[in-house]
Amino acid sequence: MTSAASTATGRPATSAMVRRLPEYLMIWVPLLLSAAHLISFSIWTIWISFTPSTLVPVAGWVGLRNYNAVLASRNWQIAFDNLLLFGIAFVLLSLTTGLLLAILLDQRIRGENVLRTIFLYPLAVSFVVTGTVWSWLLNPGIGIEKLVHDLGWTTFHFDWLVNRDMAIWTIVIAAIWQSSGFAMALFLAGLRSVDSDIIKAAQIDGAGPIRTYWRVILPTLWPITITVVVVQLQFAISAFDLVRALTNGGPGIATQLPALVVYDLMFQRSQLGRGAAAAVLMLLILLAVLLPYAAWRYVRGRQAAHA
Amino acid sequence: MPITTTRRRLLAGSAAALALPAFVRAQGAVKPRLTAISQWSAGSDGAAITALGKKFEEKGGVGQHSPVPGFTTEMMNKLRAQIIAGDPPACSQLKGPEIAAWSKIAPTVDLDAVVAAADYEKVVAPDLAKLHKPTGKWIALPLQIYSTNMLFLSKRALDKAKADKPPVTWADFNALAEKMKTNGVTSPVGTGGTRADDGQKFEASLAGISPAVYRSAIMNLDKKALEGPEVKAAFAQMRKLTEWMDPNVGAQPYATNLKRFIDGDMGMLIMGGWAQGVLKNAGFRLDDFIIAPGPSDNGKPVFLLNADAFIFWQRKEADLQAGQMLMAQLVMDPAIQTMYSQITGSIPVRTDVDLSGEGWSDGQRTTAAALKNAMGNNQAVLSLAHNMAQENGLTAAMIDVFTEYAKNKTIKPEEAVARLADAVEGAR
Repeated sequence: MTSAASTATGRPATSAMVRRLPEYLMIWVPLLLSAAHLISFSIWTIWISFTPSTLVPVAGWVGLRNYNAVLASRNWQIAFDNLLLFGIAFVLLSLTTGLLLAILLDQRIRGENVLRTIFLYPLAVSFVVTGTVWSWLLNPGIGIEKLVHDLGWTTFHFDWLVNRDMAIWTIVIAAIWQSSGFAMALFLAGLRSVDSDIIKAAQIDGAGPIRTYWRVILPTLWPITITVVVVQLQFAISAFDLVRALTNGGPGIATQLPALVVYDLMFQRSQLGRGAAAAVLMLLILLAVLLPYAAWRYVRGRQAAHA
Repeated sequence: MPITTTRRRLLAGSAAALALPAFVRAQGAVKPRLTAISQWSAGSDGAAITALGKKFEEKGGVGQHSPVPGFTTEMMNKLRAQIIAGDPPACSQLKGPEIAAWSKIAPTVDLDAVVAAADYEKVVAPDLAKLHKPTGKWIALPLQIYSTNMLFLSKRALDKAKADKPPVTWADFNALAEKMKTNGVTSPVGTGGTRADDGQKFEASLAGISPAVYRSAIMNLDKKALEGPEVKAAFAQMRKLTEWMDPNVGAQPYATNLKRFIDGDMGMLIMGGWAQGVLKNAGFRLDDFIIAPGPSDNGKPVFLLNADAFIFWQRKEADLQAGQMLMAQLVMDPAIQTMYSQITGSIPVRTDVDLSGEGWSDGQRTTAAALKNAMGNNQAVLSLAHNMAQENGLTAAMIDVFTEYAKNKTIKPEEAVARLADAVEGAR
């Protein structure tokens, strides 16, 4: 906006540059600093992953030995399988829950602000708190199962937290509780930005509410959907605090996730080289999600420019 | 040139200021100071280290203790950061083989003179002493000893089972657990669900079956012993233990369930002596429970040794150096070891401390007697679950197997044996 204003008044370019100096400083200095930070540490981690480092970083070259050790370890294999399951289930379920909540809130109901705050509230709670609270709720001996038993339904069975086949789903539940409000907020903003003329036109054409949503409104939401998917996926891939507080990778090692493995190798087992290798593998998984997203944004940006 | 003069004056002034402490040092007026880090922040551990700090201050020192709560490894992360930054604490908690490993990455203090002056070496168990002088020189000092396989018996659970004697062998133990189960003790084996808990279940099983095999398989990683019948028997015994445990414990620490243990809802606890300190600190009475040596099939006590220690890092500051010497003297002092162990429930490192007096519990006396007995019979071995037998990486890889085995009852003992051997191979 400032640039449009300055060209409109026709002031010399140099004085415009000087006037905009604070803006440049505000944007570029932090951007360069954080980029340097991010890139330098990433490169450093990649370097460490090829060294024989254990307690402290040391120089040396071991080739792919750390990678082979990590990929062959049971911990990593379990963590990777869990990541696939958790990532897909969590993203799909938080997406649908968020969308459903947004559509329900979009009905111009009374008390919308209060409800929206309630649904968004979990997002303000730290993952460690979420994990701890859910670890008590889901514990069969003291939580939901005990409550239902005390109410009289004694055959009720809900021991997912301590059942190694189902424990990963408790993380999905807690993660959805935490972050479907975020999806809801984005979707609600999307729903509100749909041109009311289009909706009216659909109604005039005789489309019922379900049909209107399905055929007219939801298709306009797909850019938001992709944003939500990418944000949630990068959370899923780097999930750490929630799992650590909720199951700590247990029962046994049944709910290991890659971030836990990295932390474990680096800081519990003092195997910096292997930990760095696991971290680089995590980075590759993240890139597998983010690069297509970046490409899609680029293509879309070009299309928009042409249009 | 007025500016230069000023600069020169400034330089002279600051040089004098810098030289001042050195001058004071020469006068011997330096106040001993100690920067220390440990994991001991709360409960009986916190109380004990605070009491030690007070003693340090009574002797004219200034103590600066920064606790890092959580597992020992959490404390190690701070230690690592400080060492990399070139600013290690004057002394830090560290134990077992980690003392040797860490002493390679930063210079440590040679304590030989102060240890010799206190004539300390002859009152420390030789196996233990060896861990604290990895290259022949004392660089660390043990502070207190625990056995990780002490058997805590709930009086109320024993009453329910109409039993009055602690079990001696694993067969006795299993019979008593069965009796408790049929007499209304919900979980005959009390426990927590942490990795260390699962590790302790295995090490207590194997060491109780054969301390000799424990030594060769776990401490020396002998492949034949690792795949031998005793290890398989230990996994089978561990499976029995898991059957008697409360499956709802999840990942809770053992201390969460101590009230159920005292109430007789959980019967027996295989735990280190620190549980006594925790029980005492939580307000339970010493006659609510009995402490006995862990089950041992040959009838003679097996001692799974766990010892906390302080390692001393080289510092140039005179006040820190003075502080290190003062601290070393305190740690070796029988009165200090008595004070410390009486708070935490451990036993003193010194074998010449008399535990018959007031302030010691029967459990501590039993533990001290067990150590003496076990050392005489070569049945004192180093605990794996508490990082005394192997370095962290190997320990963690082995505990992976134990913790998965504890929670997954479809794994057969023979499968577990193969997995353990693989884990050792993979981590080496």
